[in-house]
Formats: sequence, structure tokens, C-alpha cells
Amino acid sequence: MTIQSLDPRVSRLGLTSLQNDDAEQATVNQFPTFQVFTQKKEDKPFEHGGIVHAPNIEMALIFAKEQYSRRFTCSGLAVAATTSVKTTDVSENKEDIYNLIQEPAVSSSEKEPYEIFHLNKRGKQTVYAGSVEAGSFEEAAWEAKKAFQNDKPVYNLWLIRRNDILFIDEEDKDIWATLGDKKYRDALDYKATDKIKAFKEEQNR
Amino acid sequence: MYGGGNTFEAPKQNEMQAEDPQKLAEFEARIERGEKIEPSDWMPALYRKQLIRMIEQHAHSEIIGALPEGTWITRAPGFRRKLALMAKVQDEVGHAQLLYSAAETLGKSREDMLSDLISGKSKYSNIFNYPAFTWADTAVIAWLVDAGAIVNQLANSRGSYAPYSRALERICAEESFHLKYGHHAVIHLATGTPTQRKMVQEALNRWWAPLMHFFGPPDKMSVHTEVLMKWKVKMATNDDMRQQFLDMYVPKIWELGLTIPDENLRKNEETGKWDYTEPDWEEFKRVINGDGPLNKERLAVRRIAEERGRWVRNALLKSEANYVTPLA
Repeated sequence: MTIQSLDPRVSRLGLTSLQNDDAEQATVNQFPTFQVFTQKKEDKPFEHGGIVHAPNIEMALIFAKEQYSRRFTCSGLAVAATTSVKTTDVSENKEDIYNLIQEPAVSSSEKEPYEIFHLNKRGKQTVYAGSVEAGSFEEAAWEAKKAFQNDKPVYNLWLIRRNDILFIDEEDKDIWATLGDKKYRDALDYKATDKIKAFKEEQNR
Repeated sequence: MYGGGNTFEAPKQNEMQAEDPQKLAEFEARIERGEKIEPSDWMPALYRKQLIRMIEQHAHSEIIGALPEGTWITRAPGFRRKLALMAKVQDEVGHAQLLYSAAETLGKSREDMLSDLISGKSKYSNIFNYPAFTWADTAVIAWLVDAGAIVNQLANSRGSYAPYSRALERICAEESFHLKYGHHAVIHLATGTPTQRKMVQEALNRWWAPLMHFFGPPDKMSVHTEVLMKWKVKMATNDDMRQQFLDMYVPKIWELGLTIPDENLRKNEETGKWDYTEPDWEEFKRVINGDGPLNKERLAVRRIAEERGRWVRNALLKSEANYVTPLA
């Protein structure tokens, strides 16, 4: 059945339903999700932006650019599969989550870099705190406690192995080159006052 | 930004009895302190259910709301307006993605939400079941529907659920462009030739009742939402938001020499509130339940888009893909 719309532009599209889809419902109907981190300026930390759904991490980085840096330039962009992010509980009422972290019983000899993110206030974005060398998530949390705990409470920690994160390459950063000079989507570029004033003056004449 | 006029179900009498009283007390104390609720926190089932419903409705409204404007892109007068309208529609679809993500943290997958939209199980803002006949209709939508949504969304961004607040913070930042763009387009028509003035006045006449419906039924008709207000899911009553909208935008409409099709509309000096004729709430109910001018078409367009993209998604899906609820 072709759609006949009140809107002639919709009718002209000649949209017809395929009507044969129920049979081919895939057993998996979800792309996995990836957590997206953006860095707005060189001297600012990476900050969690949100998630994207994507078939793989490379596509996730492309979608992340469209979804989280479509309206402003970034100096950095990174994605990590949600399954690769380890989180602690979320504390409340100025309780520092680091106070609940214990020294692990065993220490590994092989270490690798882990990236540490803090939730500094409930309802705000999780932001990058720094990296530590560790052999497991438990060790990484303990190392983070030694390196980053201070008198400001942290409500939630995210820990990600650096190898699980895909950062945008330096040479690909020209993806943001198209963002400049799109004034037509900038609220400041729509000036109304003069026109209204002129209109009123004409009415009163 | 298009969310508004959310419909809430009345909580059932026994719905709260199964909750652990101590956890409930801690949860309520946290909200009382002004702390936000993060996805991994304990929360009452009713809170989760109503939030999914509200955020999902908001996301669907962004997607469906892009349809009446999207079809006008090729007819927008002038290259600059085409670019601006394209950017606006792109923003709205981006907002939908942010909102689906926020709802997803509560445990309902994006695919389930999209299926419920297409099957008609989930609602979206009723206003998009009305057609945009002329260019002036899109100008009125961009200005006043977005304005109404901003009133609603600024209130909601102070709500208790952290991922929704985070999404709204980004959405509100992009939204100011939509409002200014719409206002600019309406001013252009209202200060133009007699034909242009007539066109924008007729569009305003068409959209006034749906705009009054936009904030939902009057408080005296609405289901009791005290518990949702206490939990900071719903942040203002429908009537309060409607009053705020009238306060901010009626003077701006009048200053352009346009009239509003309600002879009883005026600010009551005694109460400080706006008097108006109640719009036809029977029509509102009829349209929200599927019998509006465009309900079937909107869903059909959405369903076809879903069907036509399916082969791409299926080609990319991998059976080992491990879906987990996103974090924040």
C-alpha cells in the first residue's frame, strides 16, 4: 500500500511498505553499546558524553563524532565498549567512594595502563582523572586511590584498560574541519529586535 | 526539543506495597537532599516504569516531530533556510538518540522502544498528528511548539534522574537556535506582504488548539501525580506549564499584530493568571488514541523507514554481540 498523505510531499515519495519482514526478524536485534568520551579543548579532560550503538568499535567512533561533536569542535574523541568499562557502586551524601576501596591481596607482575574516570557530582558527567599502571581492575582501583584521592569526594569510578579504548588518530582530526562557519545554526545569528521595532514604528505612524 | 504533554498512568493502589520500606526511605531522602539518581541505584519499580514511559515518549516525539519539518526542507524559501531547517531536523533526530540512550539505562532496549512506537503501543506528543499545510505552519511549529517544549524541558532538567538531566542539558543548549530560527521566520512573514501575514495568521489559528493541548489535560482532569512530583519525575503541573507558556509568548505574538483565536484569552489582573477557553479535551483524547488527521501516516512513514533499513542492520549484526545495559 502506497501512503497517500495530506502532505503532497509525502505522497510524492511513493512510500510502500515491504510487508515481508516479520519472517526475517533476526535473533539478535541489538547492536552493542559503546561509551563515548569527548575532549573539548587540549587543556580540558576527556568527559563522558553518552553512548552510541554500533556494530564495532570503529563504527562507534564515526557515530560518536556525529552524535556528540556535530555542533562543536573537539580536540579529542574516544570510545570503549560498555562491556569493557568496570564501575564501582555510586556513593551518596558526600561519601568518597575511594574510602570503600581496599588493597588487593595479590599483586601482579605484568602491568598495563588503565584509564580512570571520576563522577564528581551525581547528575554530572563522568570525567577523566588520569591513568595508572596495574595488572587487574582491583589493582587499578587501588592505584587510583593512591594517586587521585583528595579531600573532594568522588561518587563513582570508571576503569578502562587503555587497550580497550579507541582514540581518534591525530591525522583524522580534520573530520571537525567542516564545523566552522555554520552560523545558520547559531542562535546568535537570528536577530529579531530591529525588525520588530521597525514594524511597530510603522504600525504607529 | 519536542517533549511535552506527557501522559502519566495513575499509580495503582497496591503498586507501592511490594517496595522495601527502608530502601524507599533512603531513595526518598536522597531526592530530598537534591542528589540525582544514577542508573545503578536502587529505585522503586513505579519510578522506573514512569521514567521509561516519559523519556521514551519524549524520544519518540523528537523522531516523529522531525517528519512534518523534514518534508519541508526542499521547499524552504531560500538556501539559508534550507540549511537551517536541515540542521534543525538533524538536531531533533540527535535529541531522540540522546533520549533513547537515557531511557535505555533504565533497562528497556532501544529496539524495544522503536518497536513499541511502530506498533502504536507507546505514545508521542499529540501535536505531531496535525499536518503542516504551508511554510508558515513550519515557522509556527519551530517557534511555538519548540517554545512549549522548552518550558516543559527546562522544568524536567531539574528532575531527579541523572541520565535524563544530562541529556536535557545538551538538548536545551541546541534548542535555543530552533526557537530563534522559528521566531525569525514568523517575524519575517508577519512583517511582510498582506499574503504572508494572512498565511502566518491562518497557521497560528490552526496550531492554537494543539498548542493548548500540548501541555496535557488541566490539573483538575489529570490523574493524581503527587508521588511523581515528590520523586521529581514530574516537575510542574500541566496548568502551571501552560500558564508559563502563555506568559512568555502571548505578548510576543500580539506585538506582531497577530491575533489568537480565543476571545476569552486575557491576563486576569486579580489572579495574575491567564484566562482562556478550555480547548476541546475530547478531541485531545480522540487524537491521542489514534484518531487524528495524521496518526496512521506518521507511524507508516516511520515503519517503512525501519523496514527499509533492516537489511543493513541485519548485515552488520553479529550473533556474538554482547548487549548490556549502557552505563550513564
